[in-house]
Amino acid sequence: MDIKKILCELTSATGIGNIREATDKAVNLFKPFCEISYTDNLGIMARIAGESDYTLAVEAHIDQIGFIVTDIDDDGFLTVSSCGGIDLRMLPSRPVIIHSEKEVRGVFCSTPPHLSEKDAEYDKISDFKIDTALGGSAKDIIKLGDYVTFASGIYDLAGDRICSKSLDDRAGVAVLIELASRFADKKPPVNLVFCLSDMEEIGLRGAKTSAFDISPDEAIAIDVSFADGPDIPESDCGKLSGGPMIGISPVLDRAISNKLIKIAKEKGIPYQLEVMGRSTGTDADIISVTKSGVKTALVSIPLRNMHSDCEIISLSDVSSVCDLLENYIKAVK
Amino acid sequence: MIDLIKKLTELDGTSGDEGDIREFIVSQISPFCEYSIDPLGNIIAFKKGKRKPAKKIMLDAHMDEVGLIITSVTKDGFLRFKTLGGINTSALMFRAVTINGKINGVISGKPIHLTSGDESKKMPAADSLYIDIGASSLEEAEGMVSVGDRAVMKSDFTVCEDKIISKALDDRVGCAILIKLIKEYDEFDFTAVFSVQEEIGLRGAKVASFDVSPDAAIVIEGTTAADISGVPKEKSVCNLSGGAVVSFMDNATVYDREFYSAALSSGIRVQPKRAVAGGNNSGAIHLSKEGVRTIAISVPCRYIHSSNSVADKRDIDASYELCKYMIEYIANDK
Repeated sequence: MDIKKILCELTSATGIGNIREATDKAVNLFKPFCEISYTDNLGIMARIAGESDYTLAVEAHIDQIGFIVTDIDDDGFLTVSSCGGIDLRMLPSRPVIIHSEKEVRGVFCSTPPHLSEKDAEYDKISDFKIDTALGGSAKDIIKLGDYVTFASGIYDLAGDRICSKSLDDRAGVAVLIELASRFADKKPPVNLVFCLSDMEEIGLRGAKTSAFDISPDEAIAIDVSFADGPDIPESDCGKLSGGPMIGISPVLDRAISNKLIKIAKEKGIPYQLEVMGRSTGTDADIISVTKSGVKTALVSIPLRNMHSDCEIISLSDVSSVCDLLENYIKAVK
Repeated sequence: MIDLIKKLTELDGTSGDEGDIREFIVSQISPFCEYSIDPLGNIIAFKKGKRKPAKKIMLDAHMDEVGLIITSVTKDGFLRFKTLGGINTSALMFRAVTINGKINGVISGKPIHLTSGDESKKMPAADSLYIDIGASSLEEAEGMVSVGDRAVMKSDFTVCEDKIISKALDDRVGCAILIKLIKEYDEFDFTAVFSVQEEIGLRGAKVASFDVSPDAAIVIEGTTAADISGVPKEKSVCNLSGGAVVSFMDNATVYDREFYSAALSSGIRVQPKRAVAGGNNSGAIHLSKEGVRTIAISVPCRYIHSSNSVADKRDIDASYELCKYMIEYIANDK
């Protein structure tokens, strides 16, 4: 499949709170290959039956970061609360979409040039208002609890690199769809459940109920992680275009990680290790403690500018993650 | 008018690199006027009207917008830059840019997850930011861009009822008003200057006003509207949707008081600029030769100099009407 095309579709769709365009889009992409089942609003599962009773869950999260409206003033300015980790320093003059009954465009207020922004503190989200330019009529159009997301598009960069909002974790979702397509015509050795979890960004919530529902024998979470940049210490990041980042952490199953490394070596798939001294901050943390415990691994796609509306990934990393997982699935039992 | 502003803002033209804007404007005005292009790149257009005015009138709008200039390429293929014109650092953080009108990049810095202590609450220094074009080496980057190339923050031109959200509204709204005047207004002769290099020190207007040598000048601009949440009313400068803005004084000009008063009593929707702040080409024009009586007519813009400034169509229309009114006021030497 054309991974870039999938990513264009997935990143242009919204997935936050009750707005489930991204889920719907993903379901349509999975449909030709899988049987789809839903859990109550917290995620979906796309299943391909295998040759044994053993079940492997491959998971990515479908939600994106954003905001929720908590106040609307008489002049049409909105106060919001954040849904997920937001870098407040990037908000001033950032364009957003307010997902009311009718979509409304807005811009985060910025300090005017005649007033200094030098000493500004980027501490509380409530200090950053969204300008709807609607004046008093904002209250008629926008409701408390409406969601807000970034408004940016997707752009090609040099080589096979692209820039877009929501690549965290639509890149992971694209991996799952591509894997489903690769196993559509050949029965996998084990049952595959491709799981899209909701509410990762607000605390790994969807994965908790999804993993309980699936109750897999083992699981691999596909997420994104920090890629290199000029001021980022090498020990804190992977390399963009350096291949899948195989996670090693006390909460992850070392045997799966080792097997992933072995397969990458055997098949000549580029890879890098992401070693963490504690939990991973991804759905892998919560999946691994489901029911009596699930052996869980984490494979991450290197990404720059995390949680901005111009995250950067390399398409070769996405295909290498697919290659690694495809070979892992073939050899899992 | 909106379509014209859309086309003008979608072109990139930083100070000293206004070629694409100039070409577009020439294509629009050439059937309606005589024009020349001076050594710095200003367009000087003479529109013949039905009558010769009592005083020679020059109108000015600047073509350039704020942006970035590439200063070096790092060994890993990232680009360092300097700003052209005043831009808040927050307007640079994690913004998609276009270099030379065709290469995409992102202004990047350390992601917040990797900051420590209070670093996450403070704006980083502008010179710690860099542009990532996706190149993985110095050689790859140098095959795509050169030091001295220009970059502009991307924007998605959006119309939402009466509001326009876009980059470069300062001063493509002024250019659009001048183009419309050249196309549609023919009562009195006037000279329209589409000037270069305003954002780096009012440089184009300085030479154009020497060349045109007008008796009176009307400068059409975008100005800061700070009527936003969190800014006290006395610092709000002017109001979005409040009409065309006229100034009595800013950091570069003490304006002709008679023109200012005439504009306020024109019957058109006009508001005074409630601050002595900023400056525009009037600063260069009113001191040209023996001095030129000057008025600035401004369109209120929130988040000016960012890639998402906000203006109101009705203010743009009022500014256009006020331009016509002031041409006639000056032409009739009231």
